[in-house]
Amino acid sequence: MNVAPLARRPLGCLKTSLRQARQQKMYSQQMATAVKSKSKSPPSVLPPLNYHKVVDRRTRKLRTAFAVYPPTIAAAAKTAPPIPNPMPTIDEFQIKRMDPTGARTALFAKTRDAARVGDVLMVSHRRGGEPFAGVCLSIRRRGIDTAILLRNHLGKVGVEMWFKIYNKNVAGIEIVKRRKKRARRARLTYMRKPKHDMGSVEDLVFAWKKARRVYATGKGGAAKAGAKGAKGAKGAKGKVAAKKK
Amino acid sequence: MSTRLPAPRCWRQQLSLPLRPSSLRQFSTTSSLPVKSGWSTLPPRARPTRFNQPTSGLPLPTTGPAAALKRKAQSTPIRTGVLAIKKGMTAFMGRTGARIPCTVLQLDRVQTLLNKTRKDHGYWAVQVGLGARNPANVGAPMLGYYEAKGVAPKEILAEFRVRDENGLLPVGVELKPDWFYIGQRVDVRSNSRGQGFAGGMKRHGFSGQEASHGNSKNHRTIGSVGPSQGSGSRVLPGKKMPGRMGNERVTVQNLPILMIDNDLGIVVVKGAVAGPKGAIVKIQDAVKKPPPPKEFVEKTLAALKERFPKAEEHLQAAREKHLELKAARREKKLEELLGKKLWEPTEKQRKIVEDILAMEKGEAAGKEKRV
Repeated sequence: MNVAPLARRPLGCLKTSLRQARQQKMYSQQMATAVKSKSKSPPSVLPPLNYHKVVDRRTRKLRTAFAVYPPTIAAAAKTAPPIPNPMPTIDEFQIKRMDPTGARTALFAKTRDAARVGDVLMVSHRRGGEPFAGVCLSIRRRGIDTAILLRNHLGKVGVEMWFKIYNKNVAGIEIVKRRKKRARRARLTYMRKPKHDMGSVEDLVFAWKKARRVYATGKGGAAKAGAKGAKGAKGAKGKVAAKKK
Repeated sequence: MSTRLPAPRCWRQQLSLPLRPSSLRQFSTTSSLPVKSGWSTLPPRARPTRFNQPTSGLPLPTTGPAAALKRKAQSTPIRTGVLAIKKGMTAFMGRTGARIPCTVLQLDRVQTLLNKTRKDHGYWAVQVGLGARNPANVGAPMLGYYEAKGVAPKEILAEFRVRDENGLLPVGVELKPDWFYIGQRVDVRSNSRGQGFAGGMKRHGFSGQEASHGNSKNHRTIGSVGPSQGSGSRVLPGKKMPGRMGNERVTVQNLPILMIDNDLGIVVVKGAVAGPKGAIVKIQDAVKKPPPPKEFVEKTLAALKERFPKAEEHLQAAREKHLELKAARREKKLEELLGKKLWEPTEKQRKIVEDILAMEKGEAAGKEKRV
């Protein structure tokens, strides 16, 4: 028992260890003989057993003892306990499957260049249709279930939509406009109040599209800039990535 | 296994013998049985009570243990299930954009401990254990049980009924997630979250009472519990009332398995499973679906045999060891038996001692050189 602490700092306490070793010398010799005799006996399927001893409190005598088998041995074969928390591994596996390029993860990572709460984002659907743009009220980070909440006004009615960022139906997410100053809240629920409501982001999206058309070099790139389908979205994401660099 | 002692004789039987000798019964004028039952001078044991013998040509009895087992065979899975721990929920995102919520269940050193048989226990079942428990937190009777099985103390034990002897397994083997296959339907049983003492509205979905119209301090109460005098002025048994809610066993049937992983020890099932994270869950082949294909069952059994070829020898050795230790405990000779083995250094400890000795030698040699 007193040997265990030596394992951690074998050189730290050389003097005491040597003293202990001298005491153990006799013991080790005995052990050596015991081992030899063990090897002579026929091989047993039983692993080396520990004994759980129950000692009488008053008399300090051994009351009873039971053999306790090691938990890593099942039916004479070795087993190992599984890792305590498999959830991160599963999440990692799922994210790798749904986002092989890592673009979606990078867009909502906790980095300087990533999209943040308060930015105006535009989400395009895989099967085309009108992309949904809005101000990002919150980012719910839950591994593969990570989602964003966008708020916009459609026909003077406030509309909020949740998007799972790793869903295949979400073909692309683009940053239309960044918030000037970092939001000091994680969830901007106050932006639902009339005092803080941004209203419609239509004009912002319009201006952004116009700017892109101006800056786009190729003809094809300009035509697809509306983020119709996966190709356009990928291109847009590439731009996000380029900005970071 | 400990040998069973003969059942102690009922004291009442012993007492009744001198009080009611058989010679008195002939002369007694009052009978304890009504007239319509008839009477007999034969002692009660000798009277034929079981007319419907297998040889009598009558139909098999539709009641009794054998009939009950036969009746339930249809709804009993052919193989045992496993214990698992609920680790949490996640989702699978499909290629078409579908999101499938799923629950992650982890198998931690799931081992078989006992086969229950029709002959000895009255039914077929497999006892299975999960996890590991500190032996200091296990009582002496259970320590003896684990000792006899050659298995480390388990966190929890549970029993899975199987249809017949074909469902029994070797003792001590570990069941891994590949006991099931992807796409298989399973039933998952666990205890739901306890909600504490809950009112009628939360517990049974009662509508409560109105907020106004003269209502006074009775907005969430259950109201009347039954009709009055004409109907007996009583509350019918089983009346839904406030009380403890939750923490009861919930079975979710026919959940498909989406993923299995032996390294992580996980089984991922579609949908939700009752209980909080860390809840202990029983997974077994679905009752209401056809059993797994024969080839698959054979494959899993072959895998068990391959992984644990020495299971039977191990069990036998453990039993012998247990009998030896048991005798020693009974005869108070434990100290003699364990005297040598009270503390055995592990390989690591032995190595450390050897290292230190070697170091000491080297140092001594160095000193000599210096001298």
